[in-house]
Amino acid sequence: MNRHAAKTISFVDWYYQTVNDGKPVAIAYVNNNATYKTAAHPPADICVNGLVVATPEEWDKQLEQQRATAAPATTTSSGAAAVVTNKPGTASALTATVRYEVECYDVHVINRDYQFAAPAALLAGANKDDAAGARIMMMLTVSGTVTFGSDRSAVKQHFNDVFILVPNWDAIARHGSRSTRRYIISSHTYRAY
Amino acid sequence: MAPATGPRGGGGGIAHKSGPRGRGGGITKRRSDAIRTDRDGDVAMEPAARSGSGAQGAGGGTRGTRGTRGLSSRHVSTTRRIAQNLRNYAGENGAVSKSQFHKTTLKIRGLASSKAASNSDGGLRALLEFLERKSSKEKRITIGKSILDGDYVWISVNKNDASDVLHLNGYSYAGAPLEITETSERMPNKDEKISRDAEETKNKLIAVVARRYNAEQKLLDLSALGADVILSSMGTFNSANLAEKAFKALVHIASLQYKTADEKREALQAVSLARNDINDVDQVFQLAYSLPDLRRLDLSDNNLATTSKIAKWQHRFRYLEELHLTGNPIVTQENYLADLLQWFPSLQNLNGQQVRTPEQAAMSLKALDPTPLPQYPSNLRDGDNNVTALFVQAFFPMFDTDRARLAAEFYDEESWFSIAVIPNSGRPLPWKAYLKFSRNVQRLGGRSPGLVQRLFTGGNVIKDMWKVLPATRHPSMDQPGQWLIDCHTFPHLADPSGQGFATGLIINVNGRFEESDASTNMFGTRTFSRTFVLGPSKPSNPPPVHPYRVLSDQLTLHDWKPEVAIVSQAPAVAQPHVVVQAPPVVAPVPMAPVAGVLDDMTRNQLIQGLSNRTGMTAEYSELCLSGAANWNFDHALASFEEQKANLPPIAFRATA
Repeated sequence: MNRHAAKTISFVDWYYQTVNDGKPVAIAYVNNNATYKTAAHPPADICVNGLVVATPEEWDKQLEQQRATAAPATTTSSGAAAVVTNKPGTASALTATVRYEVECYDVHVINRDYQFAAPAALLAGANKDDAAGARIMMMLTVSGTVTFGSDRSAVKQHFNDVFILVPNWDAIARHGSRSTRRYIISSHTYRAY
Repeated sequence: MAPATGPRGGGGGIAHKSGPRGRGGGITKRRSDAIRTDRDGDVAMEPAARSGSGAQGAGGGTRGTRGTRGLSSRHVSTTRRIAQNLRNYAGENGAVSKSQFHKTTLKIRGLASSKAASNSDGGLRALLEFLERKSSKEKRITIGKSILDGDYVWISVNKNDASDVLHLNGYSYAGAPLEITETSERMPNKDEKISRDAEETKNKLIAVVARRYNAEQKLLDLSALGADVILSSMGTFNSANLAEKAFKALVHIASLQYKTADEKREALQAVSLARNDINDVDQVFQLAYSLPDLRRLDLSDNNLATTSKIAKWQHRFRYLEELHLTGNPIVTQENYLADLLQWFPSLQNLNGQQVRTPEQAAMSLKALDPTPLPQYPSNLRDGDNNVTALFVQAFFPMFDTDRARLAAEFYDEESWFSIAVIPNSGRPLPWKAYLKFSRNVQRLGGRSPGLVQRLFTGGNVIKDMWKVLPATRHPSMDQPGQWLIDCHTFPHLADPSGQGFATGLIINVNGRFEESDASTNMFGTRTFSRTFVLGPSKPSNPPPVHPYRVLSDQLTLHDWKPEVAIVSQAPAVAQPHVVVQAPPVVAPVPMAPVAGVLDDMTRNQLIQGLSNRTGMTAEYSELCLSGAANWNFDHALASFEEQKANLPPIAFRATA
């Protein structure tokens, strides 16, 4: 009954870790899943602070922009790069960090019989993966704090992410797959304020 | 950087590990080096004073060699010591007496005023040697632990030997009379002494800082430290290493004089490090840690040759406005200004010349921080049928006033509801009413039975659960600045007929509500995010009230932030990648006056709450709430605070 909640833990861990590491998350959206693409699933609906973002790659670009400082890269005027050894225990002052800290999330199953693009074996219901309730569509809401920069005076915002997750059939069909993306994003609504 | 002391490193002989009896130093010099070592195994500090004094006791009372150690080979010394210990251990009749448990502590005063006090160890070693030598002619006296602490030397000796040592009370030692007393006080241990020594050093440094602080200019003047009398007397500049430590300590101590970071920032805005022979800021790097918010820094008349010698501080002083480098070789370098401007975003004045306007400085400082993504108004894409506007306009007023009806109208036996809270500290309201329901997977973990217990399934269950939640009042929908609502349709819900797919609508609402909790009498505002998934209603008889139902309702509560939902943050510049920009926000719909939304129960709770908080009677509390405050508790409280002085005594409840 509550297995669905456990399914989202690795997703949440992976997603925010990846964003905080400054790595792309586009791969976790249905747009980049071959099975969904072949079955002509519409692209993931991504809405960021009230603005529709066309592709997950565009969202990655926005995250990158958000991380970037407007300050130019540092080289010395003499042309020789200054050798800067950061004192241990301090982040480089040049690395502008945007850090998402998850404080709370909850998940509901919104379709207990999700069938879109499902492999026939799973649809038959005999598959043990489906006995574990893999064939579901979920709504996941995540809230927490996002910190802009490492300075003491860094701006902090509250963020609220809402995802609709659908099964990543390829990962689920592979028995014992350790893929962290057994569910992928078909809708993403983001607000930070 | 010169070593701290000469002799330890300068012995030159081959060092090897001492035997098990090696004390302190751990490294001792070979006997065959013919360099005498002291009790720590270090090379003797004063070879000149000892030269030619082969015999024990030669060279006068203060300059003798203690016992046999240091003169004889260590082997012999060790053997003798063991023999002595054995003699002490076996009593006079041969019976074993636990003499080591029979120590007496003696306090000796007088060393400080003797000539020996100027020895490098304060004269302790020489005094101990004197005592051991002079106490008794018949037997060898061995002093156990000893420590020099202020005016007193503390020693511990065998009980049997104590009288012999006490016998020396009143003797003159190196020009000063000794006062020896037996004491039952505990001998201070090394750590205490060290911390007291540190305390003393700290006090001296505090004195230095105080003398060098200019309150008017908010300036800590650490210029020409080498010429500082107190610091010199402390031996601070005997080595570069020590000087750096002293600098660190000074800066650290200065920064410790303030209780809060704000206080420090305000009181310590400028530092001068002029005339300190600094050739790389690495030597004074500590400044960036202790005073990161420094606004003025004077580095003039040092030895900084290129910008690379300042590079370690780049981006360290974000608020540094004024920098002086006059008198450093760097000022003859071409274009060094460019680096400095890049490294110190707030820099406006270099060597007395303006290099940036305050506006430019503010901009370059801001450029260092990442910027949050711009905020746009609500984005409603609900498939042209206005479902979202109708739904939220019906939902929130009804949630405030008639939850039972709401559950009956929009929820069926398949609906899910849950609450998750982020109980941040510093919250304005307690979370007690919600915590027991909070379905926060982050906290509970994926396998907690709480996940099932805290998931409410079916309209009837949800309705009952809503009954116990505190009363709420959401702002009116005609205040778009109070709401951020995003929604869109999505495919692939299960169709209630059991055939094929249905289209769903996901609605994400961010906003705030006022809350009154009757059980705790607490009132205040919370922010929330609430997400609904709507799907088609099941065909039923009688037909459902609405063609759609709530499949999923997730409410997240967080702490109240006044800046929530500031739509005006949206930049005026249109973004190039707008795909669909739906007309902003729910169309304004005339609503009943806000007070009309409140039921009598909520109103009474508000009145009672205000009365409790202010001490006003219920009548005056109601007047206050129903007036300009328009039943907003915070406003009513604010207007009470304003008008408090003007209220007649009758406005207040009689106090018992």
